[in-house]
Amino acid sequence: MLLPASHQAHPAIPPGQDLAIDVRNLTKRYGSRRGITNVNLAIAPGSLYGFLGPNGAGKTTTIRCLLGLLRATSGSARVLGHDCWTQGDKVRTQVGSIPGDLRLWPWLTGMRALKLFGLIRGTSLLTKGKELADELELDLSLPVRKMSRGNRQKLGIILALAHQPRVLILDEPTTALDPLMQDRLRSMLRRAADDGAAVFFSSHTLAEVEALCERVAIVKQGAIVADSTLTLLRADAGYDLDVLWLENHAPKPPAWLPLLATRRPASTEPQGSRWIARFRPTKDHTLADVLALLHHHKEAIADIKLAQPDLETLFRRFYESDADDPRPVMHLNQAHVPSDATQPTATPPSMTP
Amino acid sequence: MTMSYKEPAPLRPAPLLIGLASLGLIVRALREILWTTLVFAGLLGGISMLLSVALPRIQERFMRRQFIPPGLQQFRDALFGMDTRGAGVADVAFSLAWSHPIVIALLAAHAIVVCTRVLAGEVERGTADVLLALPVSRARLLISETIAWALSACLLFAGMVLGTWLGVQRLDPALHPSWPKLFTILPNLMLVYFVIGLVALCASMSTDRKVRAVLTAVIITIVSIVINFLYTLDPSLEFTKQIAFLSLLDYYRPLRVMLSGEWPWRDMLILASACVALWIASLVVLRRRDVATT
Repeated sequence: MLLPASHQAHPAIPPGQDLAIDVRNLTKRYGSRRGITNVNLAIAPGSLYGFLGPNGAGKTTTIRCLLGLLRATSGSARVLGHDCWTQGDKVRTQVGSIPGDLRLWPWLTGMRALKLFGLIRGTSLLTKGKELADELELDLSLPVRKMSRGNRQKLGIILALAHQPRVLILDEPTTALDPLMQDRLRSMLRRAADDGAAVFFSSHTLAEVEALCERVAIVKQGAIVADSTLTLLRADAGYDLDVLWLENHAPKPPAWLPLLATRRPASTEPQGSRWIARFRPTKDHTLADVLALLHHHKEAIADIKLAQPDLETLFRRFYESDADDPRPVMHLNQAHVPSDATQPTATPPSMTP
Repeated sequence: MTMSYKEPAPLRPAPLLIGLASLGLIVRALREILWTTLVFAGLLGGISMLLSVALPRIQERFMRRQFIPPGLQQFRDALFGMDTRGAGVADVAFSLAWSHPIVIALLAAHAIVVCTRVLAGEVERGTADVLLALPVSRARLLISETIAWALSACLLFAGMVLGTWLGVQRLDPALHPSWPKLFTILPNLMLVYFVIGLVALCASMSTDRKVRAVLTAVIITIVSIVINFLYTLDPSLEFTKQIAFLSLLDYYRPLRVMLSGEWPWRDMLILASACVALWIASLVVLRRRDVATT
């Protein structure tokens, strides 16, 4: 199915499946300025969902719409069945969140914060909060004004998790945490997901999304350009082919293997002696066809590289501007539902060159 | 297939103290404004004490000499909205003490400082994301903030009354004011204070910059008060008497109350209506607006 990025179909939702987060064609504009455009998300309970994008892509805008801080220009955002704008208080009762740039009132100490947030939430957070503080090695008697940025972030994490929310919406939560604490946070989030919470995790770093999330949406310039599992994203990326032909021996490439017009051979190599292609196997043309083609011309080949791109390269392609790299846009029209839940049949990603 | 999702224990309803408010948010707001309020209450108490000691003596001296500088007389007449000649020393002195520009300025400053915290102040210091991500509706947030502010106002006015009482103890009994009459003035003055605060609150809901909200409230307050005095500065501005109804002081005439001993129901009703209108406007703006700290 070929779809432009701005007109993605909403992920198929199986009847009776309660989604933790259900966003449909969500658009937010700040006057004439772009916020997000036609964002669709379908996240089931118990899933770990990464929301990846460069700075300014629209991650925080999406999160603010989910928390009821921003009113959508059009479309809808629902968390656990409640509209995020009109029923924001009900949504936030079930949600634990960390803002991208966490600021807490300077007079708060960890203990005071747990008591105060518990009073507001109508439940004691002390026991769970102390457990989490022990795990994150945070001194709860320290006032926020004397805390380092990392410690403030730890307190934010504790306050987001202490009431054992059904949905966690975290905007770059690993900011300012050291690698050890990042690991502990990931383990906390995995436990929360195991207990049935949906974890929506925004980041601009691939590695941490890869380490935690089963599924990822990539947002670029306010629109989702890919929404898939990491495995499918990898599989969908195909193979990068780089063949260096002996001078004047380069054959004419077949139509099913279009060369990347934007790539140039190195200046030390003669023009036309190099093939650089991105090959995605299809029913008609498999990897074996490529190998057979190369084998047929093996006498003329000086060097050859054929490999799947690593994830870092893959994500860079999404971030790079279209003019520099005519990369594909992928949409996987399927809600992410844990394997033991009722789920729709997976459909392969469709691509628009 | 069944979901592995475990239903968490339902949250108990938040303990609500006062109807639709959240106790936690009231505690938070009180913690935020406590020190500011104590400082202002102390200042106001001190100033009230000084004025209570000094003004009756000065007024007594004027009366003895039967001379008041014309400019001062005109200012007083404009402030009280009536001819003050013939009024008793204590009535004039304590009416002046409770409408003195320094007292009004301190009250206005406290109202503006407290009421521009939410929302402009919170957005500016980046805590709005945390505040508004709490599981309370914006209406409940505003109600809680208003209750906390009202409690702080009680502390502030208690400081003022205490300062006045301490000052009165140093006066000759002949110069003592009538306390029942002073307590009749108090709610009227409190309503003036609340109107100033609610103008600041409304401005604060409409902007992300605290300075902008403060400036808006200060300008509106100053203009509203100055209207009352314009014609005393220049007789050619006599026509401004026709727009005196726009002045806050047109609804706060303590000397009239001191002389008649009657409750200023009309003035209080108008000020209370303005409070309600401004509070509702603040709520409407808060409920409709986007909140983003960056």
